[in-house]
Amino acid sequence: MKHNKLHDFLLVFPGYLIYTVFMIVPLGMTMFYSFTNWDGISKKFKMIGFKNFVRLFSDAQFYNALKVTLIITVITVLIYNVLGVFLAVALNRKNRVCAFTKSAVFVPTVLSSVVVAFIWSYIMQTDGGVINTLLALVGIAPVNFYKTPLDTIVMISVIISWNGLGLFLVIYVATLNTIPPELMEAAEVDGANGFQRFFRITLPLMMPGITINSILSIAGGLKQYDHVKVITGGGPGGATQTITLMSVEKAFEYNRRGYSSAIILVLFVLIVIVSVVQLSITKRREVKY
Amino acid sequence: MKKFLSLILCVLLICGIATAAFAEETKIVFCVNIQPQLPLEFWQSIADRYMAANPDVKVEIIGNPSSNVTLPQYEKDLLATDQFPDIMVMQNPADFVPSGALLAFDDGDLDYLADPEVGKIGGKQYVANYKKQIIGVFYNKDMFAANGIEVPTTYQALIDACDKLLEAGIQPVSLGLKDGWPQGQLANMFAGTDLLAKDTHWGAKRNADEVKFNNPDLVKAMQKYQTICTKYCGDNITGITYTQMLEQFFNGNAAMLPIGSWVNAEVEKGLQDFEVGWFPIPGDEDANVVSVFVNEGLSIGANTKYPEVCKDFIHFFFTDKELYGEFLHSEQLFSTTKDTVEYEMIPLRKDMEEQIASMTEVEGFESMTGDDAFLPGLKDYFTNKMTQNIAIGADVEAELDAFDAEWEISNEAIEDAA
Repeated sequence: MKHNKLHDFLLVFPGYLIYTVFMIVPLGMTMFYSFTNWDGISKKFKMIGFKNFVRLFSDAQFYNALKVTLIITVITVLIYNVLGVFLAVALNRKNRVCAFTKSAVFVPTVLSSVVVAFIWSYIMQTDGGVINTLLALVGIAPVNFYKTPLDTIVMISVIISWNGLGLFLVIYVATLNTIPPELMEAAEVDGANGFQRFFRITLPLMMPGITINSILSIAGGLKQYDHVKVITGGGPGGATQTITLMSVEKAFEYNRRGYSSAIILVLFVLIVIVSVVQLSITKRREVKY
Repeated sequence: MKKFLSLILCVLLICGIATAAFAEETKIVFCVNIQPQLPLEFWQSIADRYMAANPDVKVEIIGNPSSNVTLPQYEKDLLATDQFPDIMVMQNPADFVPSGALLAFDDGDLDYLADPEVGKIGGKQYVANYKKQIIGVFYNKDMFAANGIEVPTTYQALIDACDKLLEAGIQPVSLGLKDGWPQGQLANMFAGTDLLAKDTHWGAKRNADEVKFNNPDLVKAMQKYQTICTKYCGDNITGITYTQMLEQFFNGNAAMLPIGSWVNAEVEKGLQDFEVGWFPIPGDEDANVVSVFVNEGLSIGANTKYPEVCKDFIHFFFTDKELYGEFLHSEQLFSTTKDTVEYEMIPLRKDMEEQIASMTEVEGFESMTGDDAFLPGLKDYFTNKMTQNIAIGADVEAELDAFDAEWEISNEAIEDAA
């Protein structure tokens, strides 16, 4: 068949157009506005060089938001990947219990993150929440899940993980199914025990799934907005505020769209760096057979 | 002949369609503040009444699409995307005036208001203020009586009352930080009593950088606020929402509720099994200062094609007494018009009016208006950051220093823009 370049171009053009309009242009505009003092509503603004970035790197609120974002990222990445791999291996059997459990873990994934956050807000409510009502029935004092900022951040991270674990589980189960059963049989014949089979065969061969899931979970953690917005709004006093939440606050409440763009640009660079480093590490550990 | 007549009919039909298509309809967009007490239907009824009286005008109602997006945020989005409404409910004009988004009213446009001067920015009025709300302390009269507590008229008496309630195993105050704003009302009360009562235009001086947030009066006010939050609001202040605050108080699980007069709408429901009273937050010597919110009203977009229609609509809102009375009744509000507007008031609302008649009125600290208003963003900083941090025990002076630093950033942004 003759290769037709025009035909190829026409096929990919809509995709490139959409990507340009919705990704490249907004990114370019964000970069541009990050060097301005635009308030988000005026027609006029000035170029102010690196002033937004200088202020950002001396802003204690930014470092707190970065810390919160990183804590959420670390907890969710661990739960998604460690628990995800464990559940995938444990549930990779053909019986009704495993099928039901996989479905049960997957169901929250189809729910909107906002809905999930509201549901859990009512469950964890200090006064009259589901958990505290049940505890009261058995005579246990109510638990304040919002007692310290760290308690709250950990609670939010667990809620985020509950919401998203199903997707990661599906990817891990799919990866497990690509491992040829002959390899396991050969290892068994050679006398490898369960641990050896898992660490020497299953885990290395799951590396492509781990690569994808790590990138997805790290990027998702660093971009976290919706759950925190609904559950705490970033409070008290900004103690649970993530970078994206801070950016939206600066843009829409403080009329500092230029500064907000600088925050998002820094986050973008952070995600790119982390993803590239992480990709290079996990890619090296992938094995071919 | 038939062909000729048909041709004429066709020409007439086309002309008719063309005239209808090109005739400019007078349509104004009204952006409203949708709340439980003022649902979309209420605002639509205003539009319907106006359209019935003015058949040539069409009024379209829009409102913030989600409770996660505040009205000012939504209005900023509309402005940034060239969809700014013709008329809107305006809560913080200081955020919009610098960008030239609002139309200034002419002298005499708002003659029907009791005080058309309130909230002027740079000598111009941008908001037709439609309500006055006061903030103070709702209390459980039965609980006070059962514990032999009189209504406190000094700060020390308030602390004594709290201690007495604690000893009796009762949570003295219902307050929560989870929604971000309710705790700010108590901070506003103390700032009003200890700072603004001495200088009602302190805000303008702060904006001129003649004074600082970190000053002895505000430090004292915030320390009092911190004492109440950390000692008398229970162990779960960080996890309590506004709705839960109301539940705590109206279910008889807390003795006092420091909040705005809009809670009269809840009192009116009569779900509580005790009598509710109200008092202003007391100062060191007496209880003679009340903080008042006059920061909300109706504004006109600077780019409206129909400024006169918009002014007429606003005039209609205020002068249709049935309509305006219905609006005031929604939250048992205080009228802002020259003429008295009657509506069904609950006894507590009447009692408040009698109490504040002899008091000094100061503007709510976070929502000062006109030239006294906080610079853009600082209101959010006060409620969502500073008062929350202080409520959980942060160092008051350090927090006020941080507030001053935030002022510097906001001021610099304004100077850069200029």
